[in-house]
Amino acid sequence: MKFMWKFIVRRIIITFPQLILLSVLLFLMAQAMPGDALTGLIDPNVPEEVKEQRREELGLNDPWHVRYVDWVSGIVKGDLGQSFRFKMPVTEVVTDRVINSFWLSLVTLVFTYLIAVPLGMLSGRYNNTLLDSAITTYTYIGFATPIFIFALVMVWVFGYNLGWFPTSGSVAPGLEPGTMEYYLSKFYHLLLPALSMALIQTVSTVQYLRSEIIDTKQKDFIITARAKGASESRVYNRHIFRNSILPIAAFFGYEITTLITGSIFVERIFAYPGMGQLFIESVLLRDFSVVNAVVLLFGIAMILGALLSDIILSIVDPRIRIK
Amino acid sequence: MCKPSRLKWLLAFMLMLLLVLAACSGDSGEEAESSDDTESTEEAAEETEEQEEEGEEESEDNIYSIDDFSPVKTDQGEPMDGGTLNFGLVSDTVFEGVLNPVFYEGNPDAEVMEFFVEGLFSFDENFNYTQDGAATWKLDENDDGTVTMTVEIRDNVNWHDGEPVTAEDLAFAYEVIGHPDYTGVRYYLVENVLGMEEYNAGEADSISGLEIVDEKTLKITFTHAFPGIKASGLWDDPLPKHIFGDIPVEEMAESDAVRKNPIGFGPFKVETITPGEAVTFSAFEDYWQGPPKLDGVTLKVVPPETVAEALESGEIDTVDRFPTDQYPDVKDKLTNVEFLGQQELAYTYIGFKLGKRNDDGEAVMDPDAKMADVNLRRAMWHAVDNDAVGERFYNGLRWKATSLIIPRFTYYHKPDLDVPDYDPDEANRILDEAGYIDVDGDGLREDPNGEKLTINFASMSGGEVAEPIANYYIQAWKQVGLDVQLVDGRLLEFNTFYDRVEADDPEIDIYQGAWGTGTDVDQRGLYSRTASYNYPRYASDKNDELLEAGASPEAMDLEYRKEIYNQWQELMVEEIPVFPTLYRAELIPVNNRVTGWNIQDHWNGLYEVGVTQDDPILP
Repeated sequence: MKFMWKFIVRRIIITFPQLILLSVLLFLMAQAMPGDALTGLIDPNVPEEVKEQRREELGLNDPWHVRYVDWVSGIVKGDLGQSFRFKMPVTEVVTDRVINSFWLSLVTLVFTYLIAVPLGMLSGRYNNTLLDSAITTYTYIGFATPIFIFALVMVWVFGYNLGWFPTSGSVAPGLEPGTMEYYLSKFYHLLLPALSMALIQTVSTVQYLRSEIIDTKQKDFIITARAKGASESRVYNRHIFRNSILPIAAFFGYEITTLITGSIFVERIFAYPGMGQLFIESVLLRDFSVVNAVVLLFGIAMILGALLSDIILSIVDPRIRIK
Repeated sequence: MCKPSRLKWLLAFMLMLLLVLAACSGDSGEEAESSDDTESTEEAAEETEEQEEEGEEESEDNIYSIDDFSPVKTDQGEPMDGGTLNFGLVSDTVFEGVLNPVFYEGNPDAEVMEFFVEGLFSFDENFNYTQDGAATWKLDENDDGTVTMTVEIRDNVNWHDGEPVTAEDLAFAYEVIGHPDYTGVRYYLVENVLGMEEYNAGEADSISGLEIVDEKTLKITFTHAFPGIKASGLWDDPLPKHIFGDIPVEEMAESDAVRKNPIGFGPFKVETITPGEAVTFSAFEDYWQGPPKLDGVTLKVVPPETVAEALESGEIDTVDRFPTDQYPDVKDKLTNVEFLGQQELAYTYIGFKLGKRNDDGEAVMDPDAKMADVNLRRAMWHAVDNDAVGERFYNGLRWKATSLIIPRFTYYHKPDLDVPDYDPDEANRILDEAGYIDVDGDGLREDPNGEKLTINFASMSGGEVAEPIANYYIQAWKQVGLDVQLVDGRLLEFNTFYDRVEADDPEIDIYQGAWGTGTDVDQRGLYSRTASYNYPRYASDKNDELLEAGASPEAMDLEYRKEIYNQWQELMVEEIPVFPTLYRAELIPVNNRVTGWNIQDHWNGLYEVGVTQDDPILP
């Protein structure tokens, strides 16, 4: 155990330089975008001089390192700056969205594993059968289908043609927050986007699980288990499944990466006000303070995800801990 | 499974970020990124040409004209009592939620406010003020050249919380907008009030030009007479002082009074707001024109990609705007809606770089500029067939523009303006005469000095047709022997485009842009010598004179103003600093169950809108 703690602490210390590098990189990239929040304001009634004055006030004309230091010192104090577009503190803008995105991600993850585990098990257990081929075919189609096309098809079929699900927004208009109805409506609005993402995202996990199971079932200890007279279902559900699921659990942290990429498209298609949608809009409208905040949060989520995976892996596989 | 190295993941993340960013710029520009070198652009141009020829036969059936659309809904049946209208706010972004006319900046917020905020003055189709609004007005010219407007708010105009709308509220709005701490962009609407300058500079505690006569009467004195006093050039939205009075100006925009419980005195009041996505409204029974027919309105944001489906399924009854390019595809499917139409307040144009800006920010014409010869510019206008562009790329929903003052301004637009028609032979003749002759026999004209002439054309990406249209223009100019090339060999993304045009990038000789016309015919903001949006850097004495005259005290006489702007429209055809290419149609679908709907800007009858049945009519 002592070794593991050492590893975890070391691993956490390493994330700090990662975060700093991340923040510098994303700040520089935001600077490199042509235009700023005022470029889009092309109104003959608002002359260039007024815009220039606003730029000066907002500090848009300062050199990047001055602004970077400003920004970082703000973050340290928990202040992400002021959104030019929303005219309110970025922290407030982001908070609402983070909550929406969190639920969307959670439901997506649940769906992902609900689909992946049975499919992967079946496919691995009955490999090279028709069932396995069918599942593998699905995974290949899933690999090849871009999420933004798939989500559009889902909206069209289940949202508009069949009318089973709402097609946009995070909650039905007019409901009182806090009521049961409100939360049910929120969940109902989550289902279709989450399912769209999960159906695509799950395929890699299905594949991993399948090959792990095929791999494990030829191991010596399985033969031993069988020789001891364990029933076939016990062999699969206890011995093989347990050993195959561990690497999948380790893969969990990296799922966050896929979730974030997916959410950017899915939220836009479902007009679901989460972080992904906020990100796209803020980039297009050059609301830099929001872009920086969102990317920073994405980055932190990913780094933490990787950290989580490493920690799980180190628990599962002692070889990783050895330096 | 091996452990992926952390650095690799970081790199992968950065790569992803780059991809996403690239995808975004492609997103706003849809089609833009594909061709990086001129060669492929030319190929694309040839392809488009072929497509055009193929498309010609079937195109006959798919050409529409704005004349076939009415801006007023034809009622189908009697409205029932009550009912709820479902309104789609078509936007690929959320609405920001700055729901107050003093502070908002985004267009989606303006659409949300349509239902509960109303200006005090009504105006006619030329955007001249009338006496039918929530307030009446009277003008008096004073001996010292100042003008006093007496605004009298009707007695029955009340805020949604029951308080009366008072003269003090209107004065308060002026005080907030003029306040040194105010960071919005509305100051230009109040700057002509007497004493505003001192107040804005912090030198005075009050605005001397505002005088509250009684609870409902306010006298506003302006430093001088200007046509805007009569033509939508004034601030007319009061700000409820009993709510905002205690909030410091710099904190108003983020206050709950703007974001969570906004009020107005319009026909509907805000019930609930789901931030960024939806707003529900209920009827305001005490509305000054009478109680609304509808029980309420539900507004929700609908992405442009799915708006046609939402209309088909009856999820929404109508929208604030509709992507016109979808019309030919959906018009047969959407039998449950009526499409209303009118000209959009905008035009597309080609601009020529003619000068530079001096240190005072004034445009100075450069006689040696590549585009300095007006004959070259006129020939380029003759060379392009904008009606064909409108028909081929927009199914006739855009059409050839003539004047820089668009026909929507019925009073000021000069319909019989003599503009260059599509005539390549005439273009060739003009160019020959002006000395642009092909000296080296490569099929392309050289300039009068015999030097090679390459005109660099900047055009914006956006929409599927941006690229084929730019290529069409390049082809058309090539046919009269002019060598026009896209700047960088490709279309420019919106922000890049304006950054470079504004910065007077020497690589740009001509550009294609578009202007929304706003509601005032005053053209000084775009074409005067000092205007920062005068991107051609065009200036002439005659132009200065006419633009000043159009905004002078004499122009309070609308006859005179019209005459001046007629002369100006002619001047623009003579001197061609820019030439307008296309006018646009806006189409608004409305479910057949809706009665009394109207899309004209001067319409103020929202309270009379009804529905014939509870459920939407389906196709």
